[in-house]
Amino acid sequence: MANVNELMNGWGFGRQGTITSPSISTPNTAATIWRHTNLNTKPWAKVPVNEDDRAEIGKGHEFPTQLFKSHYNMPTYEISKYASSEFLAWAMAFSLGNVVLTGTGPYTYVVVPALGATNPTGLELPYFSFVQQIRPGGSAVLDEILLGCAIKGWKLSIKNSPGRASAMCSVECVTTGQYTSPSAITLPAVATPHEFNAGMISALTVNGVNYLTGGSGKQFVSMDASWENNFRPGFFPGSGTQDGYQIQGRFEWGDRAFAIQFVVRVQSGSTEYANLINQTTGTATITFTRDVNNSFTMTIQKMGFNVVELGNTDGIATLQITGVQLYDPTNGLLTVTVVTPQNGICQ
Amino acid sequence: MAAQLVFLESPQGDEIKEVAATAEALSPLLAAGWHQVPAPAKHETVVMAPKEEK
Repeated sequence: MANVNELMNGWGFGRQGTITSPSISTPNTAATIWRHTNLNTKPWAKVPVNEDDRAEIGKGHEFPTQLFKSHYNMPTYEISKYASSEFLAWAMAFSLGNVVLTGTGPYTYVVVPALGATNPTGLELPYFSFVQQIRPGGSAVLDEILLGCAIKGWKLSIKNSPGRASAMCSVECVTTGQYTSPSAITLPAVATPHEFNAGMISALTVNGVNYLTGGSGKQFVSMDASWENNFRPGFFPGSGTQDGYQIQGRFEWGDRAFAIQFVVRVQSGSTEYANLINQTTGTATITFTRDVNNSFTMTIQKMGFNVVELGNTDGIATLQITGVQLYDPTNGLLTVTVVTPQNGICQ
Repeated sequence: MAAQLVFLESPQGDEIKEVAATAEALSPLLAAGWHQVPAPAKHETVVMAPKEEK
């Protein structure tokens, strides 16, 4: 019996090896694994699925008589954290794929979405390994390393509330079904990420409106941004097996989706309606600055508005705006720049 | 402070370019499929010994 508070999560901040066919995956070593807390209190479940012969005739009856091993149906797993320079750098790098690292500490990561036509690994993003342990050692309750994990999507939310919860990032992960138990990994001490909160926002401009200064300086209420890689199922001939069950051997992105919704207080002269009707497009920039070693900037290269809806937020008249992120022929869709003390993310 | 430099390789793999590591400079290249590579091996520097004066 173990309390779930004893669950320790660690995962690769660096890349693990690519997955070769049949699914052979070289896991992260302990040197490229960090350990973080997680607001999601559940372990990552492994779900092997059996099938039976109920649909087959010739048995003399309709009832199943035999079980067969089918596949590992691994559920997605959420890593939910307060936004920090380390975690955002990791989430963006592994979910978008084209990463440039510079610096000698602090380190600067510039990340854009990879293109299938030019990405060295085609439609596949970088992989990492995920370790979960409860009382590792001779009498471990849980000690395994899941191989071939990838980021399916993330959500970044910014709210006008106090504390760390005002800037949250949750990441949805997938894994192949391949694992090793015991993990043979000694997790490091829990990392202390450099977290942001909404008060640290130092730039917030959307489509020509600066929501930090001037006439719109106190109008911003909240924002939800999300990325979805829409992975295709990774079962294919030669995808591999684990314990006799078929596993997935790749995660290829499908039609990726980048969504933004934000809420601002409406006031006389609000330009959001006009920007919608005139189909005005422009850049959108959101920057968190904690200090010179920790910052995060997301630049959406060309944003228009899909919906602007008048509403009510806690008794204040507001506009809820759904953005449309257009692909700019020169600068692409979005560029994320993160400065953090953590070296080696997605390397 | 001058921006750091970084090496990017073209999508076709036939060109390596040294670029300032700023979002403004990198965005168009990364969006076009350029990706970071390690610094290419430099030519060995040969130090010539000065001729002795007679």
